Amino acid sequence: MGVGARKVAAKAVSPHREYEPYLEAKWGLKNHWYPAAFTHEVPDKLVKGVMIAGHEIALRRGKGGKVYALADRCAHRGVRISKKSMCLTDEHLTCWYHGFTYGLEDGVLKTILASPDDAQIGKTRIRTYPTHEKNGMIWVFVGDEDFKPVPPLTSDLPMRVPKEYDPNPVAFILDDNTFVRGIHRTGDSNWRLAVENGFDPGHVLIHYDNVFIAATDRKLALGWQPKSPEAVEVIDLPEGPKGIMNRYDPHLNLYNYINENAVTGMKVYGKQEYYVRTSMWVPGVLLVEHWPVTNWAQYEFYVPIDDTHHEYWEIIVGHCNSEEDRKEAEFKYTNFFEPLGLLEFNNRDLFAREAMQDFYEKMDGWNQEQLCKLDAVVVGWRKLAARFNRGIQAPPPGADRKD
Amino acid sequence: MTDLRSEPASAQAHEIILRFEDGVEKRITVAAGEYVLDAALRQEIALVHQCRSGSCSTCVAQMMDGDLRMDPSRAHSLIPAEIVQGRRLLCSTLAHADSSVRLDYPSDLLEEAGPKLFSATVEDAAMVSDTVVRLVLKAPRGIDFAYHSGQYVRVKVPGTDQWRSYSMASLPRDLPKLEFLIRLILGGAMSEYLTARCEPGDEIEVEGPLGAFILRESPAPHVFVAGGTGVAPIISMLDSIRRRSGVKPPMLLSFGCASDSQFFYRDEVELRAAWMPQLRLRLSADRVEDPASGLVQGNPVQVLTPEDAADPDTVAYLCGPPPMIEAARRRLNELGVDPEHIYAEQFVAS
Repeated sequence: MGVGARKVAAKAVSPHREYEPYLEAKWGLKNHWYPAAFTHEVPDKLVKGVMIAGHEIALRRGKGGKVYALADRCAHRGVRISKKSMCLTDEHLTCWYHGFTYGLEDGVLKTILASPDDAQIGKTRIRTYPTHEKNGMIWVFVGDEDFKPVPPLTSDLPMRVPKEYDPNPVAFILDDNTFVRGIHRTGDSNWRLAVENGFDPGHVLIHYDNVFIAATDRKLALGWQPKSPEAVEVIDLPEGPKGIMNRYDPHLNLYNYINENAVTGMKVYGKQEYYVRTSMWVPGVLLVEHWPVTNWAQYEFYVPIDDTHHEYWEIIVGHCNSEEDRKEAEFKYTNFFEPLGLLEFNNRDLFAREAMQDFYEKMDGWNQEQLCKLDAVVVGWRKLAARFNRGIQAPPPGADRKD
Repeated sequence: MTDLRSEPASAQAHEIILRFEDGVEKRITVAAGEYVLDAALRQEIALVHQCRSGSCSTCVAQMMDGDLRMDPSRAHSLIPAEIVQGRRLLCSTLAHADSSVRLDYPSDLLEEAGPKLFSATVEDAAMVSDTVVRLVLKAPRGIDFAYHSGQYVRVKVPGTDQWRSYSMASLPRDLPKLEFLIRLILGGAMSEYLTARCEPGDEIEVEGPLGAFILRESPAPHVFVAGGTGVAPIISMLDSIRRRSGVKPPMLLSFGCASDSQFFYRDEVELRAAWMPQLRLRLSADRVEDPASGLVQGNPVQVLTPEDAADPDTVAYLCGPPPMIEAARRRLNELGVDPEHIYAEQFVAS
């Protein structure tokens, strides 16, 4: 720069700025619903501790089995209440250390076992979080306590697939008569890398030589290359879910299926043409329709834990209208979907996103990455998340790392 | 109420109650012939002010009851309609009876961040249009400087003894970086410095923060009206809203420049609208030479519609030259916006 103000190009906004809030969201998006635990992980008389987007949360059942979520730090000496379950009544959460006992409904300190006439009683409190439990999953609304009104859980899930998108829509995770089973495990990467791996149309290459694909003889391409902007559809339902969908629908013919590579001689061997469709929804929920088999669906949640870990939820969802259906679903889940799909197949995804972590965490990856033709949907997702998040989670006060 | 005709002005001391936005009340005694602001400062009550001469409007307050009058021997910048509404510039106001005034800022505004004088460094100066420079300063480490989105600082033009006031376009969280938008004026001291002499690393004296044009918490629809570089504090406010907790209010930014060729920062305001679905933009220019520009012909006040202020609780933030502020106040009043919900910062190009 010489002397005096420098001239800048008329178009001074870099593409990165269009999703700047997303780049700030290292600790996740706040004021959204996230899965926190399976129903069976929170039995009576247990205080279950989880961490979501830096929020330490204690889950505990109260009267009638209702699940409550409260801050998992005792106001007194700051220990995690979930470190040792002390369940004395079905209305209170008691800290195991000095017996600070909080109301499950309001988080207010009701008594102290070791100091029952203490002046603190009734004055201090820990915060509470809204919860929802359905079909074996417990959800928590994570973010600002003063965020009112709390939006419905359905606004943070994939849309219920309408008939015009699919004459035979897959099941919806919150519906009655639905089979919902799955696993969750911790991934050593930022939640955003997990999301971006989940539905990137070029990433199918990592599944190329997977036992599931080989055994079913499926023709899974080396890559799915979008032919036009219509290949990616943004779905913005008023007051409802916000998502971005890869329109892999065969009749739309919007993708080139890359089945061989001339330079290397590599090609896919499967013979069975197979149709799936993927979509990603704010705050980071994948829906894979017709997976692992036709008429079933796989939901994936990439729940931020802290800035370098996410909880990877893999859930199989299917229609289930009778006891006979349920038995068959259990059989398939136990002997096929979980071992071959959720583990064998999706282990590759976990591997890939953990492999990206160092570059994005330590080598300025968000600025150094070189995206290609495959990545339009990734950038589309980033913009969607930048626009429709209900807040960017700041690092918790205790975070040592400088953000 | 005393009979004003029979009583000589301010013949005796009166008690004035200062009602701050946060509900805090403070009482001061104003002596005969003493300005309310002087009396408050004498009694060690900090009130927002700057010029102390009736011009800058920083010390504006709303009379609630009693009898407070602008000193007739002094020129001031209130328009007659504002006087009728009870607006008073405390630096030039005399008390004729016990009275109370409402101040639209919290009582601790000045306690938390009193103005500081420090020397900042030029980090960058870039022409964002033919007539506007974005100046980025870096405050020194270790100074106790904080501000609210919407506030401004005074800046001393290097090599001169002239001071100019500019609102921050950046956020308090961006400190030590301070970003300003400065309109170039032919022959202006700062303009001459920016176009001919400015270099990264230059030292610039800064005093601030100043001003009570700050963002309030309200779930009601927000209307922002910005003329030219008046968009700077509005950008800071929009970014504050994006980052603060809670549900975002519906927002409209009406931003106008003199002509489409002089329109600047379009990318920046469009980014905010991309990031916040709650924000609508109405971009205008007095002279639209190229219809393909997509700008609405007119000024940012003319393009306001009754629908923009349909909610009776609408709050408005105005920043621009004095005629725009006056026109915007009048228009928003017409559209039914409560005058107490209109916050403004005016500037004079120099």
